[in-house]
Amino acid sequence: MVRIGDLTILVPVDVSEAEPPVLDVLDHLGAVEVVLLGYFPVPDQAEPALLRDQYGPGAADRLDAVADEHGGPVEVLVFTHDRESTIDRIADEYDCDAVLTAGRSTVVDRVLVPLRGDLNLDRILAVVADLLLAGDETATLFHSVAEDADPSQGELLLMGAVDRLVEHGVDRERVDWRLSESGDPRTDIVELGAEYDLVVLGETEPSLRERIMGDVLSDIVDALEVPALVVRDVE
Amino acid sequence: MSAEGGELERTLGFLEAMTLGGGTMIGAGIFILPGIAAQTAGPASSIAYAIAGFVALLAALSLSELATGMPIAGGSYHYVNRALGGLFGAVVGWGMWTGLMFASAFYMIGFGQYLVEPIPFLDGRVFIVGLGLLGLVLLLGVNYYGTEESSAFQNVTIGVETAIVLVFVAVGVFFIDPENLEPFAPFGPGGVVATTGIVFISFLGFEIIATVAGEIKNPGRIIPLSMILSVVLVTILYVLVMLVSTGVIPFESLGDSPIPVSDVAVTYLGPAGVVAIVFAAIIAAISSSNSSILAASRVIYAMGRDGVVTDWFNVSHPRFYTPHRAIAATGGVTALLILVGLEVEAIIALLAEAASFSFLVAYSLVHVSLVVFRRTDPDGYDPSFALPRPVYPAVPILGVGLSLVVVSQMATVVVVIGTGIVAFGVVWYAVYARGRVVSEGLLAEAIRGTPAEPYRVVVPVANPETQRGLLRLAAASAHANEDRGTPELVAVNVTPVAHPSPLQNVEADRADHQRDLLENARDVATEMDVTLRTRAVVARDVGEGILDVLEEEAADEVILGWDGTLGRDDHVFGATVDPVVRHAHCDISLVDLRDEAVGTPVALVAPGPNAPVVAHQAVEFATVDEAVPTLLNVQPPRGAGDSDAENRGRAVVADVAEAAGLDPDEYEVQVVVADDVGQAVVEATSRYDTVCVGLSGRVEGPRIPFGDVTERVVQDVPSNVALIRGS
Repeated sequence: MVRIGDLTILVPVDVSEAEPPVLDVLDHLGAVEVVLLGYFPVPDQAEPALLRDQYGPGAADRLDAVADEHGGPVEVLVFTHDRESTIDRIADEYDCDAVLTAGRSTVVDRVLVPLRGDLNLDRILAVVADLLLAGDETATLFHSVAEDADPSQGELLLMGAVDRLVEHGVDRERVDWRLSESGDPRTDIVELGAEYDLVVLGETEPSLRERIMGDVLSDIVDALEVPALVVRDVE
Repeated sequence: MSAEGGELERTLGFLEAMTLGGGTMIGAGIFILPGIAAQTAGPASSIAYAIAGFVALLAALSLSELATGMPIAGGSYHYVNRALGGLFGAVVGWGMWTGLMFASAFYMIGFGQYLVEPIPFLDGRVFIVGLGLLGLVLLLGVNYYGTEESSAFQNVTIGVETAIVLVFVAVGVFFIDPENLEPFAPFGPGGVVATTGIVFISFLGFEIIATVAGEIKNPGRIIPLSMILSVVLVTILYVLVMLVSTGVIPFESLGDSPIPVSDVAVTYLGPAGVVAIVFAAIIAAISSSNSSILAASRVIYAMGRDGVVTDWFNVSHPRFYTPHRAIAATGGVTALLILVGLEVEAIIALLAEAASFSFLVAYSLVHVSLVVFRRTDPDGYDPSFALPRPVYPAVPILGVGLSLVVVSQMATVVVVIGTGIVAFGVVWYAVYARGRVVSEGLLAEAIRGTPAEPYRVVVPVANPETQRGLLRLAAASAHANEDRGTPELVAVNVTPVAHPSPLQNVEADRADHQRDLLENARDVATEMDVTLRTRAVVARDVGEGILDVLEEEAADEVILGWDGTLGRDDHVFGATVDPVVRHAHCDISLVDLRDEAVGTPVALVAPGPNAPVVAHQAVEFATVDEAVPTLLNVQPPRGAGDSDAENRGRAVVADVAEAAGLDPDEYEVQVVVADDVGQAVVEATSRYDTVCVGLSGRVEGPRIPFGDVTERVVQDVPSNVALIRGS
């Protein structure tokens, strides 16, 4: 399912925190549908309803305050033991293409798009195209070549991706690409990300190793100081 | 706009439910009790485990149906409270709470025994009790600070624990000496039944699945599946463990051991086997004790929600968000129970039996509750898993019968303690809870059977400020129509849910709404002496929800609150009211209560099909404050000096009153002669407290017509306004 011109993003906010997250980036994305998810993490010990009884109104107020600051998007408030499954459920219900994390950017001019391979590529490019068509930022497509892989493969991937964006109606001048041969995608993305205002990443099914050792993606997202837009892998 | 107060996520899947149920069950019960069981029943103690498992299975079957009908926190306590009312609710609530504390103390002493016994120089009760307390303190600490998403860790530890027990059984069957199993039942059937009462505690845990029902995904499927499957599998496992234990070691020497399973394992698995069994026993004790503490805090939450105990327990920690007071209270009493172990030699069997007693009583009442629910079939009880016939009457009957048999064979001291706890629940209800508890239960209804044909007035309520006034009007209406049927009020609250999903817990919302509704509505109902039922409905749209209820209840009349605005945002009366006015097939009163007092009503009557309904409604509303309503007619003069206008007006009123079946002493008449009818109506009606106006015409298509006069009344008259349309 590739959609153009109908981008919906989910923005999860922890409403148990008194300090609202930095979401200035939301005001610079142009005409994008936003679903604001306020989640209240519930420890295993408590019944979710117990915390809702006590903190429901306060949490709703916080969520309303965040929403008011950013143009009054759709709001959902959930009390949950499991943040991840709540994000998944709400993203499914509201048909969201991507999930935005908070970060320090105050403008959105430059977008970094690391690409791994063909996995999820169509969806990522569709989201990037929507983003570029809705606003006026420029994008850099980026690929980090694996240690013993042929760099020309990466070039091909990136050039093909640029063409796809142009096919979607994006002005070719707003898109460039970069290839890295350092062999360490994680460091590349985190370092390069600092020069950009937003990073668009593709979500992938975690491998067994990632399940045990920790998710590479969430590791990158945590390390990034700028906001990240994680494109969901629905299939 | 966010949904009111927020959604509740369901996060426990099948695997989590199974590990929760199985992990709680496979605890100290199977690692400690084989010794005591062997002492009292010999090799036939495996039969005792099988009977206890069967009793647990019966409870699991009844609980499955109830839990899928009401997937909400509280488990047995909640179902009994709903079905049998606050008295039994208090008995079961306190019984479960104390039972869980007994169980938790039992697990921790078992934990101490398994740590102390293998180490020769650490002998003695003081060490056992001390280690038990230490373990408890650690557990309380963890639960006080709170944990998040620890299920992966739990799955692994409980998996390892189960695997060790499976190896123990699988290898052990080859070492069974048939001679050890002779005689099979040295203490006869009495010994077996008495043992059943002790070992029943080994099955506590499956109910935890019902206690956390509000957090289980797809509750209709996962609750019955995990509950029944875990009881069956665990029963088979226990029977095998007991057969292996009594088959490998003569039951006399098994009975002397505080760590029987480890003593069996050493004979064929060597020291490695002992280490593994000790490890499994410790994990089992900790996980069972932990689950019991958590289950207790959920029972306390449910009791606080229903007003059976103070809500003080349910204030969660400002930083960790844990129910720290409930956890601390449970932990404190559990610690005292462990300390009793210093003085009382047979503490472990006593704790086990006392916990079993509490839960056997609770499950008996659960079986009775199932019967009550089936008989009354209350609204909102629509279990997705229902016991088929003939399983249905058989399960609750057998369940109660067997529980009584088991209880009858328990030690006197346990029966005294258990009866004391039940008595405490009764006293607690009488002294503390009676005034606060809102649940009346369905017992009376179940015995009475179905009532005669009612005259039913439905009142959707949402706003606590206006619901009182609306209910009073509705009660008055129902009473005034006593000749058409037994007056009955149905208060409805619709919870709008944008995206109903099996992953979201809306039951808790229903319960909360119902509680507020009940408290408020019951006062009014008692005051007005009318039967009241409440319905809490979940629907995509409030208007649709109300229409569904009107349809299902075959309502005679609906009284809708309305904020007195007309024609805003493409709606005539509002997004909720419009569809009801458009599609309802009963009498409708749209009421804008601007003042608390209903006082003296006035009905604006003019010839038309609606007028008798309007006049009758004014008479009904007048009974609230025992006033006499006025029927008002405004006549424009036919030319100057028309002296007949007054008489024409009186004739109109008389006709309408007759059509409405009113006696002349039930109303006053007022006729105003004026050129400007609208102005005259506004001036005349402003002197009354409540104005009843007809909602003209039948509604066809998207438009809801209302006349100019109606509009002027709504906008210019300061009194309460009721717009009325006949069916």
